[in-house]
Amino acid sequence: MAESLTSDLKRALLGWFYPVKYNLERWAYALQRISGLAVTGYFLAHIVETGNVVGGLDVWSIPATSHAQDVWTATFRFLDNPMFDIGLVVIGFMLVYHTINGIRLTLTEFGFLQGRPTRPDFPYEPKSFTKVQRALFWLSVLFATATAVYALNVFFGV
Amino acid sequence: MKESKKMLLHYITGLGIVIAGGVHLFTVFLAGPYVQNLAFSGGAFSVIAVYRNLVLALTLELLLVFVDYHALNGLRIILIEFHQSTRWERGVSWILVVTGILLLIYGTRTVLIANALT
Repeated sequence: MAESLTSDLKRALLGWFYPVKYNLERWAYALQRISGLAVTGYFLAHIVETGNVVGGLDVWSIPATSHAQDVWTATFRFLDNPMFDIGLVVIGFMLVYHTINGIRLTLTEFGFLQGRPTRPDFPYEPKSFTKVQRALFWLSVLFATATAVYALNVFFGV
Repeated sequence: MKESKKMLLHYITGLGIVIAGGVHLFTVFLAGPYVQNLAFSGGAFSVIAVYRNLVLALTLELLLVFVDYHALNGLRIILIEFHQSTRWERGVSWILVVTGILLLIYGTRTVLIANALT
């Protein structure tokens, strides 16, 4: 039976995005969702941001190039701020995690890396989350961290 | 559209994003200095130069289409897993389709006009 919308939403927000005390596969899942939401947020902002390349929301025909240039330069100056740079470092991490873990999910979707069904034994690790999949998960975390470090270097020259 | 077809498109657009997004990130971060690449003009991969290059502009448009579908379908997946009812699913889908089309129109406008800027 379907429950009410509010109780469902409450349970989902408290449970699904909080993988503590669950296994690694659950962490991978929660991170995939969180990173997806983060990159979606960035995508929305990025569409608005790049819209300023031609002069912003109200430009619907070819503007004077000087007008477009002024608006974009002002936008770029506004965005040239440590807060936004830190945001981009986080987005870089999220994007790369989502990409590589997404490749793992794509492979499993089409039947690869699934492992064989076996008897569940203590400590009941998920059989579906095979060694290669674990390796891909950790690879995604590793590359995401490397990207964040690279981004820190680009923006702050650490 | 069948749910399996929507998910197949999700994986196809995901793969498309890896390629088109790779080109996009390359032109911004790896093809010359980052600050010059984000300047309006002046470098081989400055903002306007990228939009005026037909292949790169087309790549950006494709990236827009792929990310638009992938992101909003992703939101749909999350939202319909939160709660199950026909009304909820229809409402969520409609709102996301309209949002997706509006984003696509605005983004395509940017690509087309930026491509035509002299």
